[in-house]
Amino acid sequence: MKLLKPSWVNHNGKPIFSVDIHPDGTKFATGGQGDDSGKVVIWNMAPVLREEDEKNENVPKMLCQMDNHLACVNCVRWSNNGLYLASGGDDKLVMVWKRAAFIGPSTVFGSSSKLANVEQWRCVTILRNHTGDVMDVAWSPHDMWLASCSVDNTIVIWNARKFPEIVTSLKGHTGLVKGLTWDPVGKYIASQADDHSLKVWRTMDWQLETNITKPFNECGGTTHVLRLSWSPDGQYIVSAHAMNNSGPTAQIIERDGWKTNMDFVGHRKAVTVVKFNPKIFKKKQKNGSSQKGSCPYCCCAVGSKDRSLSVWLTSLKRPLVVIHDLFDKSIMDITWILNGLGILVCSMDGTVAFLDFSQDELGDPLSEEEKNTIHQNIYGKSLAITMETQLSTTVIENPEMLKYQQERQGAEHANAVSGPGHESQTPKLTNVVNGESLEDIRKNLLKKQVETRTADGRRRITPLCIAQLDTGIVLLMQHTSTKIEPMKALDSRFTERSKATPGVSISSSPAGVSPLDRVKDISTLKDSKLKEDTSSDSEDKIASKALAIPKRKTEIDGGEVVEKRKKGRPRKDAKLFCFRLTQTPVISEKEPSRVAAPAALLRLPTPSVQKSFTSQVCAEPSVYLEVENEVSTVSGSRLSQLRCCRDGREWDALLPSRITIATGSCDLLAVSCEDRTLAIFSACGRKLIPSILLPAPVSSLHCSGFYVMALTAAATLSVWDVQKQIALVKNESLHTVLSGADITITQTLLTQQGVPVIGLSNGKSYCFNSSLETWNLIADKQDSLVQCADFRNCLTSQDAMGTTGPLSIMQGRNISAGRLATRLSSTPHHLQQGMTLAFLENQLSSSLTLSSSTEYRHWLIIYTRFLVNEGYEQRLRELCKDLLGPVHKSSGSAWEPNVLGLRKRDLLMEVLPVIGQNLRFQRLFTEYQDQLELLRNK
Amino acid sequence: MAKVQVLNVAVLDNPSPFGNPFQFEITFECMEDLPEDLEWKIIYVGSAESEEYDQTLDSVLVGPVPAGRHMFVFQAEAPNTALIPESDAVGVTVVLITCTYRGQEFIRIGYYVNNEYTDPELRENPPIRPNYTQLQRNILASNPRVTRFHINWEGAADKMEDSENVDPSPNTMLPPSCLPGKAPPLALVPDNSMDCL
Repeated sequence: MKLLKPSWVNHNGKPIFSVDIHPDGTKFATGGQGDDSGKVVIWNMAPVLREEDEKNENVPKMLCQMDNHLACVNCVRWSNNGLYLASGGDDKLVMVWKRAAFIGPSTVFGSSSKLANVEQWRCVTILRNHTGDVMDVAWSPHDMWLASCSVDNTIVIWNARKFPEIVTSLKGHTGLVKGLTWDPVGKYIASQADDHSLKVWRTMDWQLETNITKPFNECGGTTHVLRLSWSPDGQYIVSAHAMNNSGPTAQIIERDGWKTNMDFVGHRKAVTVVKFNPKIFKKKQKNGSSQKGSCPYCCCAVGSKDRSLSVWLTSLKRPLVVIHDLFDKSIMDITWILNGLGILVCSMDGTVAFLDFSQDELGDPLSEEEKNTIHQNIYGKSLAITMETQLSTTVIENPEMLKYQQERQGAEHANAVSGPGHESQTPKLTNVVNGESLEDIRKNLLKKQVETRTADGRRRITPLCIAQLDTGIVLLMQHTSTKIEPMKALDSRFTERSKATPGVSISSSPAGVSPLDRVKDISTLKDSKLKEDTSSDSEDKIASKALAIPKRKTEIDGGEVVEKRKKGRPRKDAKLFCFRLTQTPVISEKEPSRVAAPAALLRLPTPSVQKSFTSQVCAEPSVYLEVENEVSTVSGSRLSQLRCCRDGREWDALLPSRITIATGSCDLLAVSCEDRTLAIFSACGRKLIPSILLPAPVSSLHCSGFYVMALTAAATLSVWDVQKQIALVKNESLHTVLSGADITITQTLLTQQGVPVIGLSNGKSYCFNSSLETWNLIADKQDSLVQCADFRNCLTSQDAMGTTGPLSIMQGRNISAGRLATRLSSTPHHLQQGMTLAFLENQLSSSLTLSSSTEYRHWLIIYTRFLVNEGYEQRLRELCKDLLGPVHKSSGSAWEPNVLGLRKRDLLMEVLPVIGQNLRFQRLFTEYQDQLELLRNK
Repeated sequence: MAKVQVLNVAVLDNPSPFGNPFQFEITFECMEDLPEDLEWKIIYVGSAESEEYDQTLDSVLVGPVPAGRHMFVFQAEAPNTALIPESDAVGVTVVLITCTYRGQEFIRIGYYVNNEYTDPELRENPPIRPNYTQLQRNILASNPRVTRFHINWEGAADKMEDSENVDPSPNTMLPPSCLPGKAPPLALVPDNSMDCL
């Protein structure tokens, strides 16, 4: 082991609170106190690693420093992909930094004296939510989320793909939260706080998994940080400050049952930071004497307030090494190099130490693949799918795949993402905005820029936007560093501003005392008065602006639900929902108690006849129905009137019997009468079919498009296509679905494609498949498969919104799928896999039966993603085969090119990129990509 | 942190005759959409001796400013010669570009300006009354002096909140003789309460 304290890594003597090595190992960041602000510095790793680089003046040591935090920076963390740096500080902010793609300015504008920034890191987002100092930040595996914890007792989970969106805020700690660590498999996040507890939260539903307090009961004095760490195999969490027999320890918590039986003992004061080596190791084979069966083990560094550092191997009972008096003050943070053979440690005393280990000391690090195998053996889930390091070891076999991967990466990196080395690969500067070179723009800027006059006659210039944030449009800055003698008489003019505006000057020019400094109280006073006026003015403006902002309509996700209360409807409890969706099914809910359901003689309730009622049939165009029974008596028979108002135009029709139900769609209206007849009108009031006589009075009636569905009191179902004048379902008995006691119909629905759906009180929903003439189960709220299916990781944020359609209506908007999945962490993975698979296949076939094309597409993509993630190659192949169909035309083929009006090959084109994301399926990808290409060229 | 960073100021038409308008091409970057305009000013310092002779050459509003990188050319007429003390017409002075947001100045960029006669004859024997038509203005573009100020970028409501959120902990550490009313000015409160540990 070698030990080095690079003295040049410092914040001018101010404390360094955090250190983190970039995943590529070429640089590291430190965070802490700056002169009058928080400070983040990015340093070059090379001078730490090699002495010759340290001595070489051409090798820069400091790469970039950022003074943007207003107060001390407590934590800096690189994202796993190395593209971002997150920093959290006492200013309650989390800032996310990204390397700016453009070259230059090599220094901050105007700061000639300062050290040049070699790399440009720019704050891309400021995350504001915490109401207290941010103590720790942590990126989730795969950089899906960023977690931050604060002295406001909360943990905020940010959507790292869509900053500054907040996924959730974890509340439950009753003290300052001072450390965070993600489960390497992504199932949990653990936090440690001053409230003597360590909490583990599930990422599935963001609820508390466990609360561990016992090892922390004795904990007394507080430490600045409590940086805990999760082992790379996911099996253990090691806490910071814990106590055992009044001695400070680092508690080991087992994933299995969250047992707390072991700890690391030996430090004399509280443990502030624990950091696991990212590698898993195995015993070094000694001189070929292959001793098989040696368990892989982990390595862990522990830093304490007692200023000492210990490094432990889980295979040894005693620490591998303990270093005392490494610093003058408490250790604040530890970071490992990704190869596992070095650590950087920082301290409150403002210094940093580097420890270099050899493989002889630690052992042989397992490759990512081996680590993955361990993960797969324990958790079943393959983490390798998106792991870049893993992908890099897989050889891309085909230029098409390579192209695809590059395109994908290109798209990902399109927004000026500049990974290390990215810039050097593209040294060409293309100063082009909208096809015009920046130079041309600059030449004509004065003439071209839009200048207007405001109401009070002031000039107002609309600036030319030369780059959206994050687009890598390059702007060359001219920088010359010729120096002239400062003229002190004028110097004060550069830095002074009117005292009226509050704020701290952070002058970058030397604050020389000018011999000709003047007294200018009077002017300052004048100035301040002026300033006050303008500022109050502008405040007024803000206020009035705020008032003027029109209230935005809040949209209910997935479609607007219009609920209409109708006066005088036959059934008071009945509600009519109009869904303004692509599919406009009409649901009516019935009071279950009114449905008597003896098995032999099924009777469904029928609405009672009311004197008059109105109902809205559809909103777009707005169609209202008004029914008035027994309006007039003509030669002994009583007439009833149906009045329809469509977009302001009215028509009416007279019927010889009293009307029980009137309903309709945009295309037609259906009216059932007391005398068991059903009348169907066109949108303009033409009677399309002579009255239909039904075997029993109508219990419920639905229209959708040109389809009419009638459920009679005798529990039979009929569906007609009025346009084609055919029956789709003919007096089909509901005995099949209503068998069993006390089952009542709670929901009936007719899809836009004319598929009748019936929801029952036992949570099951059936649709009648007219081609198979069968009742098909499409949803079951009690189905254990639904509840245990764990497909959430296959959802993208867009998918998570869900789709709207008959299937989701029957299954409920907040589908309970996956609700139980979290409790199944102990169930074997293959079982859960199987359940998820079954569930997804059900969804797919159900949407097919329901002819709901949008839902079919939705579930098809999720299903594919699941197959890709879990590695079901056979099923994927079958799926692709069906979607592609025969490449060469043959008359004998029964292959349908379309499914639910969607072209199968179009679907395949959507599915293929999903498959292409996993290099494991590159052959499958290329095979079908080629065939699609072939077909396209035909 | 500042929502607007000035990335570069290019001095156009320089050097130029004294009577030519000033032209600065300003490039700045804005982190998020600004609800209000930025106000830019060019101030010409007529005399090093006194602020009395400062002339605001022009002020412009710049907006709307969405997030992104922007540039514009700020052109302002040459200073009114009548307002410049005759003794200060020739020699070195300063031109300032300032930017304010919601009435608060957050950046001040200064350049030295050297006014001199191009004609060697005039240079040797300058006339008592300065001949402005013969003067050449040379802005030392290579050496801008930039001063940045922390300002409150948010609305008025946030201003209140900020003052409320000042960490009260340092006060609790004051000796008991120090009454709360006599709390030291905020500037003396350490930025980071951790320093007190």
